[in-house]
Formats: sequence, structure tokens, C-alpha cells
Amino acid sequence: MLIEATALRKFFSLSGGRQVHAVDEVSLGIAEHEVVGLVGESGSGKTTFGKTLIGLHDKSGGEVRYRGELLPARYGAADFRKQASEIQMIFQDPYGSLNPRMTIFEIIAEGLAIREGRSLAALRDKVVYWLERVGLHADHLSRYPHEFSGGQRQRVGIARALIVEPKLLICDEPISALDVSVQAQVVQLLGELQASMGLSMLFIAHDLSMVRYVSNRMAVMYLGSLIELGPAEDLYFRPLHPYTQLLIASNPEPDPEHERQRQDQLISGEIPSPVDLKAHCRFAGRCPKAEARCFEERPALREVLPGRLVACHLL
Amino acid sequence: MSKQSFQLSAADFAPAPPATHAERIVRPSLSYWQDAWLRLKKNRRALSSLYLVIALLLFTLLGPWFWTQDYTLQDLDMISQGPSWGSAALVVEDPGAWEGVRGDALPLPQGQELGATTQLTVEGAATTQYVRLYWNAVPGAQHYLIYRNDHAPDSGQDLGLPLGETLRPEELSFADRLQLRPQTYWYTVIASDGLTEAASGTTLAVTTERAITTTQARERGLEATVGASVQLPAHPFGTDYLGRDVLARIMEGARVSLFIGIVAPLLFIAIGIVYGGICGYFGGTLDIVLMRIADFVIALPFLLFMILFRIGFGIGPGESGIFPMLLALVLLSWPSSARLVRGQILQIRGEAYVQAARMLGARSLYLIFRHLVPNVMGPILVTLTFAIPMAIFTEAFLSFIGMGVSPPTPSWGAMSNEGIRTMLSSPHELLFPAFFISLTVLAFNLLGDGLRDALDSRLRSRE
Ligand SMILES: Nc1ncnc2c1ncn2[C@@H]1O[C@H](COP(=O)(O)OP(=O)(O)OP(=O)(O)O)[C@@H](O)[C@H]1O
Ligand code: SF4
Ligand SMILES: [Mg+2]
Repeated sequence: MLIEATALRKFFSLSGGRQVHAVDEVSLGIAEHEVVGLVGESGSGKTTFGKTLIGLHDKSGGEVRYRGELLPARYGAADFRKQASEIQMIFQDPYGSLNPRMTIFEIIAEGLAIREGRSLAALRDKVVYWLERVGLHADHLSRYPHEFSGGQRQRVGIARALIVEPKLLICDEPISALDVSVQAQVVQLLGELQASMGLSMLFIAHDLSMVRYVSNRMAVMYLGSLIELGPAEDLYFRPLHPYTQLLIASNPEPDPEHERQRQDQLISGEIPSPVDLKAHCRFAGRCPKAEARCFEERPALREVLPGRLVACHLL
Repeated sequence: MSKQSFQLSAADFAPAPPATHAERIVRPSLSYWQDAWLRLKKNRRALSSLYLVIALLLFTLLGPWFWTQDYTLQDLDMISQGPSWGSAALVVEDPGAWEGVRGDALPLPQGQELGATTQLTVEGAATTQYVRLYWNAVPGAQHYLIYRNDHAPDSGQDLGLPLGETLRPEELSFADRLQLRPQTYWYTVIASDGLTEAASGTTLAVTTERAITTTQARERGLEATVGASVQLPAHPFGTDYLGRDVLARIMEGARVSLFIGIVAPLLFIAIGIVYGGICGYFGGTLDIVLMRIADFVIALPFLLFMILFRIGFGIGPGESGIFPMLLALVLLSWPSSARLVRGQILQIRGEAYVQAARMLGARSLYLIFRHLVPNVMGPILVTLTFAIPMAIFTEAFLSFIGMGVSPPTPSWGAMSNEGIRTMLSSPHELLFPAFFISLTVLAFNLLGDGLRDALDSRLRSRE
């Protein structure tokens, strides 16, 4: 494994001593050249997991190893500098992720300028190369972020992260803020870059349909815990966990014939808030198959079939 | 479309000519500040207030070059005059040159009452410098009482202001030098036998004309021959209760007002930036402790500290104290800007672009100067433009209640304070400084409003 989280935990403290169990004992590894898709509803803790994994949040518990080496629980500027050439991230919000006061050139060149301390002018060729590689034009160099569409900004974010040639890329819903037509382009671009650079990727998304094309394995999160993990296609067509089954069933089918036949088993109710969780199955409140013990004991993530890990008492 | 009519020829498949760039719409790329400036220019209210602010600054800084009257020059002959564009004045001899008129005291004939004064006459020209009166002796009079009124006294009852009385029976004249203005006065002279006044006096209507003495003319470099007509300096805003030019004082007072108004906010916002920046950037316990201190300072009563600082600097009541005022403003006003900066920094620190920069290995100084500072400049500028009118107003208020700048240094607040005493008789002394305070406060507030709209990056980047 290139990076491996073991029982990683991130709690946020709220006023009154309450705690948000944003990420609760998640163990997940990403192998070299592997793309792991991380899916889950909004608020399930995907972003928090991604950020805690690479040090943008202090860890509340558990550990992360990168190439076997333990990463610090709490990062300082020096720790980030050390891993800058190894791990990068693409952020969820293409609007907040670019400094409105900087030109596209300054934004993309930032990583190299910080690492090599070179003047910006010396980096121009490389920046232009990356700009074109993500499908933008050299004309755009002196522009400011507000002059770009969401898809173009996301490409700028990709170029900024990849210009330092990292080994691991965390893509936090790089497509969910974009139009469907643009989503496919960005996914395709990321797929190409991943293949040509031999990247490892954690690809975060909230629906499985698009991620399954780029992922080798997929992980499903619910309320801060990992509930299912397995090979992408296998998991998509044969989901084992009741939640994953509902999640996939609620996905609209592109084929109208299938769409009509799809049994409409939408997940009922809202995702509960992850504040001060009790020790039981996170999904018990909404699970159609819940039993008495589901409300008492938290199921562990176990390998139920070769390569298929599920956290459910019934399996 | 019918299928038959649709004919294609080989020419239809010829490649199109290479695309020219004629249709490409090229818009110059605008930086944040350029863009903000464009938006500000579109906001007519903000733009006019910007011009107003510039005009006010020019008025203050360049005004004294063009309006060269000395703001300290007192002209007791021109006290509380309304606005005027200069006036001609007669040059007259100095008041001391007249010895007065003496006559013989006449005894009172037996059985007669004290009579009215006769032959009340003005000696020479009646001017704003002096009105010289003389009259014939009244038999039995020991001295004479002189009254002045600015309307015709009816039935001998309201004779007006008692100007004075002569001391000896031989003195048959009186020179009135009491705050004369160019207008008509009614003088009444009544004889008195030392115990009782005569039942009636004589009233004379006198119209004064503006005049200066030869000595004053010489002091001002004007022609100093008696009888000459000279042009007196204009007072477009009138004069104050000491005859000083209000326009010159407004210009000079603007220096104090704008100095406090601009320097105090600059200083306390600078403190706020550093303090709030440290809190927001480092966070944690340091932040909690520092912000509690800021809360404490916010709770301190401003006036009390103002008084303490004045005492601390040994400044008594009625003395000028620009420095304690500046100090009190700076020391007690920074927490609000520190709070603002802290909030901004906290917000920006959580922005994805800052996290991206951290991921790329940015050091603290780089983050601060490259990402945080440029992004808080906008809100800080807006706070500054709102803090300026607040400080100007505070200065005016303090000077008004006598805790700031005191005479002879003018400031708009101090001038309002002086003006309010004569508000009813000569309102211009209050109205002009008050108008300038209001105008400046309004201009800066409107400008701040416009800036806030123009700099709102959310409006811009998330349209
Ligand atoms: N800084 C924070 N302070 C307190 N709670 C937080 C913080 N960040 C996230 N949370 C909470 O943690 C939980 C997980 O949030 P997270 O952003 O990781 O969800 P997500 O899966 O990325 O959702 P989305 O698909 O909407 O991005 C949410 O309940 C959120 O409210
Ligand atoms: S453990 Fe029980 S409640 Fe949880 S998913 Fe399985 S069946 Fe449902
Ligand atoms: Mg998220």
C-alpha cells in the first residue's frame, strides 16, 4: 500500500462538549497506481476523511502510514513541505479553491515557486505545458479566476496539483459542482493523467455511476464509518451492504427500459447527524433489514467474500 | 424539406477557410483592484462622494494657499458678521484723537424740573469705529446718561442698552465704541441731577457706516489717510465672535479634524490588523486570551479614559489636547478592527486555496503575504472609510464639549462649540462648521458604502 489509514478518526468539538463523529475508525489503503473511489451521501465524512488522511485536519485517533512511514498526527508547515511532492489534493469547491487575487499563472506556478524558490518567469514554459495539458490555453495565463467557468477552474486546480508531479492525488468531488457534460470531460482528463503519470488516487464522489469508470476499488461511507469496500464493478453490480444496495438502486438508470423496471426503493429519511453517536450500527435507524442487535453492537468491517469487505451483522 | 431539392456538390465539401480571430471577443483581463475600481466608477453616488472627499482634502491642504487670511487675526470691529464679499470702509482717525466737548454747568433755575437734552448732534461721520455725540448743557444736570437702541424707542420707555454716563456736569459729549455695526442706531441722552433722571431725553437716529481707523489701515497695509475709502477683506463665511475669518478657520480646523480623522483610524486599524491577524492566524489558547483582552478594552468607557489621559498628560480644562485625544481614540478603538480582521483571517484560512497552498508547502510568511493580506485588504479598506467619519465625529464631539482642541486652535468641533453661544444672533458661526462636519461624515460614509459594494468578491466571483 502506498498510503494506509488504520482506524483513522476525526471528531470535531461543538459547543457544550458535544462531538461530531465526522470520521470514526476508518481503515482504508490505496496501493500504488490504484484509484479508490470513495462514495457516500452528503455529510458522510468523505471530505473530512480525505483531509485528515493527508494532514489538513489534525487526527483525533488512528494512524496513517505513507510507504510504511508514520505520518504526523498534527502537521506543521515543514511536514507539508516534506510531502508536497508526494501528495496533492483537488478541492471540492472550484470557486473557493482559487485565490481571487492571483492570476491563473501565479496559481498554477505556486507549487514550483514554493518548492524551488525560482522566479515566476522561469516557470512559464512549464506552466504553459500544464495549462495545455488540462485543456486550457496559454492566453488564459494572465486572467483571474472569476473570468472562468466552474469546469475551467477545476482544470486550473488539477494543473496546480499535478505540476509538482505527486504520487498520490486526493480528488474531492472534482466533478459534482459541474454540469453533466463537463463532468465526463473532467473525469476523462483525470483518468488520462492518472494513467500517464502512474498516479494513485482517492476519488471522492457522492454517486457511484461516474466513479466506477475510473476506480479500481470503491469504498462506501455512511455517517463517518466505512461500510463496504470492494472491486468497483463487483461492488456496483452486486452490492452487499443494505445501504449500498439502496444507494445503487436509487441511482437513475440511463436506459429508460431499466429505469422503469427499477424497483423504487429509495432510502427513507434524512441522514442523521453524526453528533454524539451511540455504539450501534450507523445505518440501523434507516435500515430495512435492521434487527435487535443492530441497535446494540457496531458491526466491524469484515471480508465476507474474497476482496469484499462489508460492515453488517447479517452478512 | 423535400429530399429531392437537397443537392450537394463537391464544392460543399471544400475545407472552410482558416478561422480568423475576428470574432474572438477579447476583454482585457482585470485584476481585482481594477475590477473594483470599474464597479466603483459605475456607482454614481460613491463616485461623487469620492470626488467630494478629494475636494475636501484639497480644500484643507491647498485652501490656505489661496485663502491667505490669517485665521488668528482678530478684528473686533467685525465681530460676528454674516457672510459678505468684502466691503468698502472709510478710514477715520483713531478714537483717542477726540477730546470731546466741554461746556459750562448751568445752575437749575428755581422751581424748574430737569429738562430734556437739546441739540443732540453727531460729531463728524458716524462710523462703525465710533459715534461721537455732543449736546447742549441742561440746566441743573450733574451728569448725563446715554442709551442706545437698535429700533426707535417708543414712549420713552425702552431706550435700549445703557451705554454709560458722563462723570462731570461739564462733559457734554460721549463717544460710543461698543460693537458698532453698519446700521441705524437710536441714541438717547438723559440728564440727571445725581439723584433723579430727567423725565424725558432726546433721541437721535444715527446711521453708521463701515470704517477702520488709520492705525488699523496701516496694520493691514491699506491707505491710511483720513477720509479715504478702502476695501476690507472678504469674509465669505462671515466672522466669528472675535472677528476672525470663519473660512480661514474652517480650513485650518479641517487640518485638526482630518488629521485626527485619518491618523487615528490608520493607527488603530494597523494595530487591529496585527492583533487580529495574530489571533486569527495562530488561533488556539493565544487567540482566546488575546480576544478576552480585546473584549475587556471594548468595555472601557471612552470618555472616562479621555479625561484620565488629559489628566495624565497634565492638560487642564480649556487647554488643547490633540495628543491625548489621538491616544484615547487609538487605544480604545482598535479591538473592533482586530475582531474584524480576526474573523476575516479565520474565514480565509479555511478557504480551499489556503489549504492548497499549505499542501504545496507554503511557509507562514508566504501564506500571510500572498493569500491572507491581499484578501483582507478589501474589508479593511471599507472599515477604514467608515472609521474616518467616526473619528472626525468623535473629535468634533470632544472639542465641542471642551475636551479636545480648545481656542485658539480651531477645529470644526471647537468652532461649533463657540458658534452655539451665538447661535440665535449669528447662526453662521455654528452652521458652517456643522455643515462641514456633516458633509465630511456623509462623504466618507457614502464612499465606504460604495467601496463595500465594489470590493465584495462574492458578488464578483460567484455571479
Ligand atoms: N470544521 C468542522 N467543524 C464541525 N463539524 C464539521 C467540520 N467539518 C465537517 N464537519 C461535519 O462533519 C461531517 C462530515 O462532513 P464532510 O464535509 O466530511 O462531509 P462530506 O461527505 O464531504 O459531504 P459533502 O458530500 O457534502 O461534501 C458533517 O456532519 C459536517 O457537518
Ligand atoms: S448491521 Fe443491521 S442495521 Fe446495520 S446495515 Fe446490517 S442489517 Fe442494517
Ligand atoms: Mg465533501
